[in-house]
Amino acid sequence: MRLIDIARLVFGVLAVVFLIAPLIAILPLAFTSSVFLTYPIPDYSMRWFRELFVADVWRLSIVNSLIVGTGTTILAGVLGTMAALGLRNSGLLLPGLFRTAFLLPMVVPAVVLGVGMQVFFVQIGFANTYAGVICAHTVVAVPFVVVSVSASLAGIDRRVERAALSLGASPFTVFRRVTFPLALPGILSGAVFAFATSLDEVVLTLFVAGPNQRTLARQMFSTIRENISPAIAAAAFLFIVGTLLVALVALLIRRRASQAKQPA
Amino acid sequence: MSEAAARTRLGALALVAPLVLFLALFFAWPLVSMLKESVSDPVGSRAFPLTAEAAAGWDRQSEPPDALKQAFVEDLRNIDDQQLLGDAVRRLNSAQNGFRTLMGKTVRAAQEQSGPLDLAAIDAKWTDVRFWRAVVDSTNPYTDRNLLAALDYQRDATGKVVALPADASANTAILIRTLWIGAVVTIACALIGLPYAMLAVSLTGWKRQLLLGAVLLPLWTSLLVRTAAWFILLQEKGLINDTLISLGLISGPLPLIFNRLGVVIAMTHVLLPFMVLPIYSVLLAIPKNLMPAAASLGAPPWRAFLRVLLPLSLRGVVSGSLLVFMTAIGYYITPALIGGAQDQMISSVIAFYAIGSANWGMAGALGAILLVATLALYAVYGRLSSDRGGL
Amino acid sequence: MVQSNIRFEQVNKSFGTLRVVDDLNLVIEQGEFVSLLGPSGSGKTTILMMLAGFEAPTSGTISLGSQRIDQLPPHKRNMGVVFQNYALFPHMDVASNVAFPLEMRGTPKAEIGERVTRVLDMVQLGALKDRKPSQLSGGQQQRVALARALVFEPSVVLMDEPLGALDKQLREQMQLDIRALHRRLGLTIVFVTHDQSEALTMSDRIAVFNRGKIEQIGSPREIYDQPHSRFVAQFIGETNLVEGTLAENGKSGATVALPGGGQIRVQPSGAQLASQKILVSVRPERIRLDTGNKADNSYSATITDAVYHGDHLRIQLDDDAFGFIVKADRKQAELAPGDRVTVSFSASDCWMLPA
Repeated sequence: MRLIDIARLVFGVLAVVFLIAPLIAILPLAFTSSVFLTYPIPDYSMRWFRELFVADVWRLSIVNSLIVGTGTTILAGVLGTMAALGLRNSGLLLPGLFRTAFLLPMVVPAVVLGVGMQVFFVQIGFANTYAGVICAHTVVAVPFVVVSVSASLAGIDRRVERAALSLGASPFTVFRRVTFPLALPGILSGAVFAFATSLDEVVLTLFVAGPNQRTLARQMFSTIRENISPAIAAAAFLFIVGTLLVALVALLIRRRASQAKQPA
Repeated sequence: MSEAAARTRLGALALVAPLVLFLALFFAWPLVSMLKESVSDPVGSRAFPLTAEAAAGWDRQSEPPDALKQAFVEDLRNIDDQQLLGDAVRRLNSAQNGFRTLMGKTVRAAQEQSGPLDLAAIDAKWTDVRFWRAVVDSTNPYTDRNLLAALDYQRDATGKVVALPADASANTAILIRTLWIGAVVTIACALIGLPYAMLAVSLTGWKRQLLLGAVLLPLWTSLLVRTAAWFILLQEKGLINDTLISLGLISGPLPLIFNRLGVVIAMTHVLLPFMVLPIYSVLLAIPKNLMPAAASLGAPPWRAFLRVLLPLSLRGVVSGSLLVFMTAIGYYITPALIGGAQDQMISSVIAFYAIGSANWGMAGALGAILLVATLALYAVYGRLSSDRGGL
Repeated sequence: MVQSNIRFEQVNKSFGTLRVVDDLNLVIEQGEFVSLLGPSGSGKTTILMMLAGFEAPTSGTISLGSQRIDQLPPHKRNMGVVFQNYALFPHMDVASNVAFPLEMRGTPKAEIGERVTRVLDMVQLGALKDRKPSQLSGGQQQRVALARALVFEPSVVLMDEPLGALDKQLREQMQLDIRALHRRLGLTIVFVTHDQSEALTMSDRIAVFNRGKIEQIGSPREIYDQPHSRFVAQFIGETNLVEGTLAENGKSGATVALPGGGQIRVQPSGAQLASQKILVSVRPERIRLDTGNKADNSYSATITDAVYHGDHLRIQLDDDAFGFIVKADRKQAELAPGDRVTVSFSASDCWMLPA
C-alpha cells in the first residue's frame, strides 16, 4: 500500500506541474529587460508593458480587441439569451434540433469555418470590416451564451414563475421581476465567456480581418510566428491575471446564485 | 390548438428566430459557399457559353460536329475580358498540355477572320479528339477535380479515376499525419487523464480542489498564451533545455521545438482538460460503495479496480477521447507555431491554400473532408452522451 | 355579498390523445373547503391548474360567479395559489415575496408595509421578514407561501399538495392552521392532495377522482361510510370486500347471499342497485372478536396471522370469515395465530356496492 501512495503522490505532483508550470514559467519573463525570452532574467523592467501600450501595432491591436470583444459580447449575449429563452419554452417544436444547431459552431474546425467566411464575406463585401469580424466572433461565441443561459434557466423552478402569475404579475412583469433576475448570473457568465472567446480568437480573424482590424490575439500569433519578443510574455501576463480575476468573479457569482437557491 | 398555446409557440419561435437567421447567414452559408467553391469550376462555362450549348449533340468519341467547332470560334470572338480568357486558357492547359500555344494561335485567327473557320488548318491539334474533350469538359460548371485531388486522385483522359503520381501531391500523407498526431495526442491525454481523474475523485477537500483547479485554469487561459508558454519552454535556450544542461543530464540542447515531439507535448497540454473533465464527471456518478462492495465479496483491490471501476469509467474515457480527437484533427494554431514543416496538419494546408495561394477550390475540398470527419465524430459523441444505458 | 360559486361545466382536458379530465361537472360553493383527492394521474392537479389559468380546458366552461374565466390569463384571475414546494421567489426576502402581489395591484407603499406586517404576524413569521427563502425551514417557507397567497385577500385560494414536503408532525399542525384560517376568513379553498387522511380531516366536501372522472363527491363521513364504488371504498381507508347476490332489500333489513351458502345481513340501500351481483364492504375497525356477544352477523373463524401495531392489533382471519382483516383492540393482545374466535359485526356497518 505504501508504494501505491507514493506513486499516487508522484503522479499527482507531476501532472499538476505539467498543467500549471508552463503558465507560471511565462510570467516572470514579462518583466525582463532583455530582448530575449530566456532565463536567467538579467534585470527587471517594465519596458515590455510600455511597449504593449505605446507601440502602435500593439496599442491598436488592444483597442481593436476591445471594440470587437464588446461588439461580440453584446451581439452574442442578446442573440444567445433570446434563443435560450425560446428553447426553454415548451411550445417550441423539435427543441433538440435547435439545440444541436446552436452548438455546432463549437464543433466545426475554425479553419474550415474561416475559409467559408472568407469566401462568403468577399461576396457580400463584409471582408476587412469590424462588423464582419464581430459577426465571425459571434458565431463561435454564441454557443457559450446559449449553454450558460440555458443552464441557469433550467435551474429556475417553473412554479416560481407560475406563482408570480397567480399573484397578479403580467407575463412581461414575470420576466422582468422573476425570470430575468434569476437567469442573470447565467447571462453574465455567458457574456464573460463570449468576451473571452472573442479575445482569444485567432483563426477566423486571420481569414476575415484586414490589417485595420488586427486584434491582440492576431498580433500575438504573428509575433510568435515571425519575431518573438518578450512583449508576448507581457501580453500573456495580462491574459493570465485577467483570467484569474474573471474566474474569481465567476466563483463569487456562482456562490451568490447557489445561496439564493432554495434547499427544497 | 388553443389560442394561448398558439401564442406561446409563436413567442418561442420569435425568440429563437434571430439566432437561427444569424447562424444561417454567418455559419451555414459560409460552409455552403466553401463546399460550393470546392466543386465549382465556373471559368469554362463563362468563357464558352455557346460551346456548352452545342456540346449536347456530341458523343465525345467521334470527330466533333461542325456546329460545335463554329460555336467555339464564336465564343472566342465574343470574349472581350482578357482576364477571363487567361483564366480559361490556364484551366484548359491544366487539363491538357499544349493548350497555351494552341489557344494563342486560334484566338488570333478567330479575331482576324470572320465567318466559319477551318480549325484543323490553324493547328493539327484540333483534329485530336482529346483537345475537344478538354474544351467541352471545361464548360461543365461543376467538377470533382478538387475533391479527387484532395485525396490524391485525378481523372485521366478517358474520365476514369486514377491515383496521382507519387510526386504530384502529398495530401494523403498529410491526412494520415493529421490522424496520426490526433491519435497520439488522444492516447497521451487518456494515459494521463484517466489516472488524473481517478486521483481527483479519490481525494477530498483542498487536494481535490487543487487538482480540479489545475485542469480548469489552463482551460480558461488563452490558447495563445498556453502555446506561447510552450514555445518559451521548449525553445533551444528554453527552460527545459537549460535545466537539463545545468543538471548535466545532456551536453547539448535537445531538439524540442519545430518538431513532432513539441507539437504532441503542447497539444496534450492544451487538450488534457477535455479528457479529464468527462472522465471525472463519470467517476463522480459512480456510487462510492461499489469498491467496498467488491471488497466485501472477496475481490482484492486490483481486481476490484479492473472489474468494477475501470469498466465503469470507460464511458468517460470514450467520450473524452472522441472530444480530444475531434478537436485535435482540426487544430491549427499549435502546430502552426510549435511544429516544423513536417508537422503541419490538414488545417495548416487548408490555410495555406486559402491565404497563401488563393486556391479556394483546394481549400474548400480539404475543408469538406475535415468537416465531414469532424461532424461524423461529433454525431458518434452525441449518440454516446445521449443514450445513458449504452456502452 | 354576491354568491360567487366556482362552476365547472362539461370540462374536458386532453394532452395529445390522453384524456386527463373527462366531462367534469362540479360546483364549489363560496366559503367551502373542497379537497380534490385521487391517485397521481387522476387529473386533480390538472383541474387545479385549469382553475388557476395555467392550463386551458380542451372544451367546456369554467366560471366564477357570473363571470366565465376559462380564457382569462392567470394574472387576472385574482386567486391565491399555494404551490407544491412553495415556489417562493429565491432572490427576494420574505417581506418582498409577500409584498409582490400587492405591488402588482398598485397598492400604495405605506399600505403594503402595513398589510405585509399584518399577514406575517398572522402566520407568526413577523421576525423573519428580512430572511431569504433559503434561510428558512420547510415549515417557515410553507407559511410564507400561505401569507403570500392570502395577503391580497383573494376570495378563492387554491392549494396544490401544499403540505407534501413537510414531516408528519408539522403537517398535522399546518392542517389545523389552514382549517382555522379557512373558518376565520371565510375563504373558498380548493385543496389538491393524494393523502386521504388529510382530505378527511380538513374538508367540507371531498371529490374523489379516478382516471379523470369524479368517482364520488360528498362529505368526509359519506365518502368513508357510504362509498359508491369499489375504487372509493379501497382508496379511502382500508376495507374488507366480499362478493354476493342481493337476496332481500326491504325497509326492515337487507340480506346478501354468499356463493358458499352463508349470508350477511346488511344495511338496506335506498339506491336502486342495477344488478343482483353485490359487493359488501366492512371496515376492519367495525368488526369485533368478542365471543358470546349477540350480533346481526356472527361467524366462527381461525386467526391466521396477528401483528402488533402499538395502538391496535391487526388480525388476518381464515376463509371461514372471508379472509377478513380486523383491527382489534389492543386489550386483545394475547390473540395468536391458530386461535379460534367468534367474529361479529352489525348490519349497519355492512355497506353494499355495485360489484
